[in-house]
Amino acid sequence: MPEIDRRGFLKLAGASAGAAAAAGCSDHVEKLIPYVVQPEEVTPGVPVWYASTCRECPAGCGVLVKTRESRPIKLEGNPEHPINRGRLCAKGQASVERTYSPDRFHGPVRRNAAGELEPTTWDEAIAEVAAAIRANPARVRVLGGDPGDTASQLIDRFVAATGAGGRVVSIPFAREALRAATEQVFGVASEPIFDLSGADLVIDFGSELFESGLSPIEHQRQWAEARDVATHPDGGLRLVYVGSRLSLTASSSDEWLVAKPGSEGLLALALARAAIEAGAGGGAHAGLLSGPLANAGADAAARATDVPAEAIRRIGAALARARAAVALPPGHAVASRRAVGASAAVLLLNEVIGAVGSRVIVAAPEGAPRQRASYKDLLALIREMQDGQVDVLLVHHMNPVYSIPVSAGFADALAKVKLVVSFASAADETALRAHVVLPDHTALESWGDARPRPGVRSLVQPTLRPLYDTRAFGDALLDVGRAVSPEAAAQLPAGSFRTLLEANWTGTDFRAALKSGGVYQPASHAASGFAASKVEVAEPVFTGDGELTLLAVPHIFLWDGSGAALPVLQEIPDPVARVAWDSWAEVSLATADRLGVEMGDVLRLESSAGAIEVAVLPRGGIRDDVIAVPTGQGHVVGHFASKAGQGLVGVARGGNVFDLLPGDGVDESGGRAFLTERPRVSATGRHRRLPLLQWNDNKRERQLGEAMTLAALAGHGEAHAEHHGPHEMREPYDPAADAADLQYQETFHERGENSAKASPYRWGMSVDLDRCTGCSACIAACYVENNLPRVGEDETRLVRQMAWLRIDRWVGEGEPELKGGRVRAPRSREQLGDTDIRNAPLLCQHCGAAPCEPVCPVIATYHNEEGLNAMIYNRCIGTRYCANNCPYKVRRFNYWDHQLTKWPAPMELMLNPDVTVRGQGVMEKCTFCVQRIQAARQDAKNAGMLIPDGAVKTACQQACPSAVYTFGNLRDPDSQVSKASAAPQRGYHALHMLNTRPAVTYLAKVLRGKVEGSPS
Amino acid sequence: MTPPPALSAVPTPEAAPAPGDSKINRDLLRVMEGASPGYFLLLGATVLVVTAAALTWIYQIYIGLGVAGYTHPVFWGVYIVTFVFWVGIAHAGTLISAILYLFRAKWRNAINRSAEAMTVMAVMTAGMFLGIHVGRIWKAYFILPYPNQRGLWVNFRSPLEWDTFAISTYATISIVFLYIGLIPDLAIARDRFAGWRRLLYTALALGWQGTSRQWKAHTRSVLHLSGLATPLVLSVHSVVSWDFAMSIVPGWHATIFAPYFVAGAIFSGFAMVLTVMIPVRRIFGLEEYITDYHFENMARFILLTSLIVGYAYVTEYFVAWYSGVEAEQTSFWLRAFGPYWFSTWTMIVCNVVFPQLFWFKRLRTHVPTLFVVSTFVNIGMWFERYVIIITGLSREYDPAVWGVYTPTWAELTILAGSFAFFAMLFLLFLKIFPVIAIAEVKELAIHDRAHGAHGAH
Amino acid sequence: MAAGTAGLLWTKASADEPLVASSVCEAHELKARLAEDPELAVVIPPEFDKPWPSLAACRSHEAAWDPDAPGPHQPIPFSHKHHSGTFGVDCQYCHSGTDRSRMAGVPSVELCMGCHAQFPAEYDQLEGIQILKQHWEQQRPVEWVQIHRLPEHVKFQHQAHVRAGFACQDCHGPVEELDKLYLVPETKWWQYGLPTQKLEMGWCVMCHRDAGASTDCLTCHY
Repeated sequence: MPEIDRRGFLKLAGASAGAAAAAGCSDHVEKLIPYVVQPEEVTPGVPVWYASTCRECPAGCGVLVKTRESRPIKLEGNPEHPINRGRLCAKGQASVERTYSPDRFHGPVRRNAAGELEPTTWDEAIAEVAAAIRANPARVRVLGGDPGDTASQLIDRFVAATGAGGRVVSIPFAREALRAATEQVFGVASEPIFDLSGADLVIDFGSELFESGLSPIEHQRQWAEARDVATHPDGGLRLVYVGSRLSLTASSSDEWLVAKPGSEGLLALALARAAIEAGAGGGAHAGLLSGPLANAGADAAARATDVPAEAIRRIGAALARARAAVALPPGHAVASRRAVGASAAVLLLNEVIGAVGSRVIVAAPEGAPRQRASYKDLLALIREMQDGQVDVLLVHHMNPVYSIPVSAGFADALAKVKLVVSFASAADETALRAHVVLPDHTALESWGDARPRPGVRSLVQPTLRPLYDTRAFGDALLDVGRAVSPEAAAQLPAGSFRTLLEANWTGTDFRAALKSGGVYQPASHAASGFAASKVEVAEPVFTGDGELTLLAVPHIFLWDGSGAALPVLQEIPDPVARVAWDSWAEVSLATADRLGVEMGDVLRLESSAGAIEVAVLPRGGIRDDVIAVPTGQGHVVGHFASKAGQGLVGVARGGNVFDLLPGDGVDESGGRAFLTERPRVSATGRHRRLPLLQWNDNKRERQLGEAMTLAALAGHGEAHAEHHGPHEMREPYDPAADAADLQYQETFHERGENSAKASPYRWGMSVDLDRCTGCSACIAACYVENNLPRVGEDETRLVRQMAWLRIDRWVGEGEPELKGGRVRAPRSREQLGDTDIRNAPLLCQHCGAAPCEPVCPVIATYHNEEGLNAMIYNRCIGTRYCANNCPYKVRRFNYWDHQLTKWPAPMELMLNPDVTVRGQGVMEKCTFCVQRIQAARQDAKNAGMLIPDGAVKTACQQACPSAVYTFGNLRDPDSQVSKASAAPQRGYHALHMLNTRPAVTYLAKVLRGKVEGSPS
Repeated sequence: MTPPPALSAVPTPEAAPAPGDSKINRDLLRVMEGASPGYFLLLGATVLVVTAAALTWIYQIYIGLGVAGYTHPVFWGVYIVTFVFWVGIAHAGTLISAILYLFRAKWRNAINRSAEAMTVMAVMTAGMFLGIHVGRIWKAYFILPYPNQRGLWVNFRSPLEWDTFAISTYATISIVFLYIGLIPDLAIARDRFAGWRRLLYTALALGWQGTSRQWKAHTRSVLHLSGLATPLVLSVHSVVSWDFAMSIVPGWHATIFAPYFVAGAIFSGFAMVLTVMIPVRRIFGLEEYITDYHFENMARFILLTSLIVGYAYVTEYFVAWYSGVEAEQTSFWLRAFGPYWFSTWTMIVCNVVFPQLFWFKRLRTHVPTLFVVSTFVNIGMWFERYVIIITGLSREYDPAVWGVYTPTWAELTILAGSFAFFAMLFLLFLKIFPVIAIAEVKELAIHDRAHGAHGAH
Repeated sequence: MAAGTAGLLWTKASADEPLVASSVCEAHELKARLAEDPELAVVIPPEFDKPWPSLAACRSHEAAWDPDAPGPHQPIPFSHKHHSGTFGVDCQYCHSGTDRSRMAGVPSVELCMGCHAQFPAEYDQLEGIQILKQHWEQQRPVEWVQIHRLPEHVKFQHQAHVRAGFACQDCHGPVEELDKLYLVPETKWWQYGLPTQKLEMGWCVMCHRDAGASTDCLTCHY
């Protein structure tokens, strides 16, 4: 038990009512510390926004950084940015935590004689590195990921200037196969840009376009817009997913082809053939039938891919018919040793269906660092290191010790390097093996730029003074280079990295770019012709004699492991598996029975390369011959990434699936392959209770996540009823009933005179389930905006998370227990090929007749004139009756003093000062971001008007890539939310039977059914 | 409520003791004199457990309620269960003292004092659990409607607010009731003891001389207090039951809760009286005053209330089925066959099956059986509350947040502490106050002597 | 210096030994006394016979650090009376956020220097000015002790109240009359006949009632 502090003392003293009175008012001295020089754009209490770029993944979304008192507290999408258009995913939302991570280096460190890292000065550290380089420049190597455009160029100049032996760019999830395939068939070595806007048929060959895809936010937005039933009565875009596992993307698809992993290429060819046979391209591609498509007949393909020939023909026909179809290339998880062929095949399909040039744009490469990533080079470097040919290794923007398979031998080779220099800003596996660490600023502290795609240049600008004695990577590199030798110094650019950046942006209006976040031009299609003959598809090659094929699935939040250090990303459950703070192995129910394991039993996966142990998660939605393990966990360093307790270095959290992959697992182009293993799987006999947030996907026909067929939407009532069971669908927002509710509340809650005049506002929200993919960006935004504590693994296991907004994931309508008969341990109800998955975001419904309100003995929760279900923390005494009585279970209780335990310094700096940090023993819940409402109210008052529609955006609404949420004033008939809530037929209130009169109206998901081959 | 026929039955002569007053005094006051090492051993044990529980509570206040086993969605746990349990225990006292007094059921005289004492102690224990349960006890005074500069008021719509009043009222009445009844005996004790006890009793006896005027006032006040207390027997536990009945939680939201809880309360109350008085009678050799006849009547009461409770169980399930509300049906189905099946079946066996033994007079009058059965009833009644509260909460409307709650060491320690606390208070009471109403027993004796064998009027 | 002046003020002057000023402030005091009784023997060295710092400045400067006056000891003997009272500097000149932010804002050292850098060098005799200039030279913020403090769960909006036309004094008391600032106590009687102190909830709610402002809890607590 920690030593008793003031708060603690008051708590104890408070136990006696007398002292309790004193507990309210505290008399300890608070200091007011003003600026020495106050920046003129800063007014204390008023946020300042800076345009910048998210550096969490290659997509390169534009962000607006919200700073208060020159401290960034939240990231939001930059509306001007062409890629994300104002939206931001969970990774981006969470990235603000990097700057305030307790794992950060406070200054340069070096390894002393005793072998421990000890603080040093920049001059000494740089001198040491420079000396080592000077000794033998030829034996110097630079290894790293994507440092940004200018920084990357600087590295090249550094290498040239110092005569360093070479530079290797390596990114775990680089799309080398796609690049190689593009080069083969188009002669242009760059990643094509896939544009889904206006598409009516999209086939995803496992690119996982909503999670680890080419540009998740952009594609999610385009997908949602292209299938909005309000504007597309026919249901608009159809998404066909090809894969062996019901992933997040599959859950949102209209048809799921359960193909054998690695057979995507064959299927693509078969579909191309079927499309041509159905008349695609009007005979233009007839030549292909004798060429690469010669033996891609539907029946043969069906045998090879497990996809029924009927489906192949049907979808082929649909492709031929489609107005604007696109096929997306295989993603990382299915990147086999034959990945280039598969990607080429998908490009061929795009060529056949006429997508190339319009929706598949192959632009000339602009030398973005990401495009230079090469696993081949990395392996070569490792070999050099092993042979002792490398004296100095500079590692930047990368954690190779974690992300490169152990069997590649990087970690051992590292021991042969005389001086390892890391530029990591926070401690990770590699940095702790380095001899010298020259800590970089975080993205929020530094200058930089990015080329997410041809045509788009995006700026990174600092939003706070560096918290610690760190130095921008570019500047550190310059300093090292200049210290190496005068000649080197002469060859290096003068000035700081900042000046170099600006120089690099000459020709653009730098000031304007700072405001808008960058310069954006559309990319133009640079490729001509299509070398179909180069397309060679072959069956994937596997190593290992296990029955199960290993699928290393890129985790939607943790990505290549970089996300694991951010507590928010650890805290939010995986949208599909519902597991947080741990890794798991997905197998089918049948496989689980065969292995004799149940949920949480620990499996041992043993491949030629290595072995890991993870808890099993049996699912219905996965092929029997596949075992899927998410990437990203298995760190041993970091407060949150590892099971470190309070320390920095701990034991691995979950397992690192990379360890199972062979170092030499490469595709035809030498790119990194992930689908290579058939590990031996055995039960260890041990059991671990998974931190599982939802173990029951059966909504037993309760009105929680509704769906309706297109037919029903078109108004065929019987289909509608038959799909929805007995309960009626909706109760439209009724101002009269609403006023009555408020009056009712009024009579019990004494107010000031002002309550006489009715408020012009009734805040409400609509949630469109048809747009929700479950990506959880909203949850991350809520965490950051509202200072929600990240409770950690143990508390998560007790289901004590503090999320104000959660997403329930339902499989179909479900059936009641009694129909189901005898109660058994709940099992996944997913089925292969079934994509009727409902993601139902659940937040406080701000009910007109809220069950939680009458039961609170102290009126800590009540209904205000504006229809908000208020929760007054400082009045709450913690009887928890409201939470019992809330049918939606959206109220959360502070079992501990999270603000003391869950915010290791300096994380408290990122707290939103406009939101009270809740103390121990009080209830809390979604407030509809009341702090934003109040801010908007003040602005409106100052302008002498009512709050205009759209002036208040809740955090979840602001973040959502597919615009699921609409928030606004229900009293205003013209407001977006009023219109949305009145959507014909689709609207309903959650658990309508309870007559709680929610302010949140849900719009049912629309089941579009399988793709139709022939016009109906 | 109408008393079962047995109550109006004439006490059999051999049952009604008629020794001289002085002997009664001696017998009954002997209980209060001296104390065996065994007594101190017992007392020490209870004090030990109470201390452990107290420390746990302090730790919980400091570190947070997380030490309890709460989980989303189960926000109420063992603390509330135990609270309801003790409120239930508190009922036999008032029932015996007030209602049976009004019905002139003389057999109560021997046990009413201990029953009243238990009432007061049980209410004290129960009241404490409200404090243990809340998240911010240092702000718990908010629940009292006192004028304050903030201009804030409490929510009179909240069943918890009703609880606050019900419990405090009940506590006040029971304490007054106990004290009034004590006065004549305190006087006797005053005249008998010396030293600090004399001072204490002198003070408490309020100068009682036993004059007819005083007796008149005494009997009248007892009569009126009984009148006042009678409705409380029904009201208090009805109010407590509304904590649940007023909510929308499946398995809680039922109209039969008030009578159901009251019956249960009396059921458990009598059981507790038996569980406590059987050893007391044995240890202090009070067989002459607390006869099997008394025990048998209580056994009859337990049998009756057990039937009522059993009927309530059936009704609950019937209504769940008949309502056609899927959530209700699921909740009750899981109650019987879900993760909490054990508690449910324990409750049914202890509360409905075991008491049926009391149909047989031989078992009704067989003290060991009485003791065992009454103990089981106590266990069963605790589990009844556990079943209602926990299973109700763990399976609510949104299946995505169904959860399973398991009590932690902290809750179990404090639960144990509550029993120890109750026992400690009772042990102290035994030594400080006459545990049997001397005056009333005398009255009974005189009365019987006067009327010879026919005690009836 | 301050002590010296105080000493001088209360020493009974004797004819034989004249009173000698050892600082400009003392000189001011002696002149003042000389005005009262002309035959007082006073020696004012020429280097101290200067107009600056003014008598008012000297007195405020001293009073701002008067240990007997109520209120906390501030790192700099800053006198609100001297600045906003004597010179009538507008509150919002220094607390510039009041009409456009939740917070009033405390002036930066730079803002202080904005004026004080231009004042005659004589002012540097005042210890307070010396401390200020040290802060400026070392670029070190001044750690003022907060006096008007609300708990974290109260979200007070300065701009709302200032724009509604309330005077700063309504809540902060007669700041312009205080050399050493403190929370001037003020007791009002709540409608239920209960006393409520300044900056207590009842005190806020009363005013909100009278002004017809919202008394919804969410107005201040969120």
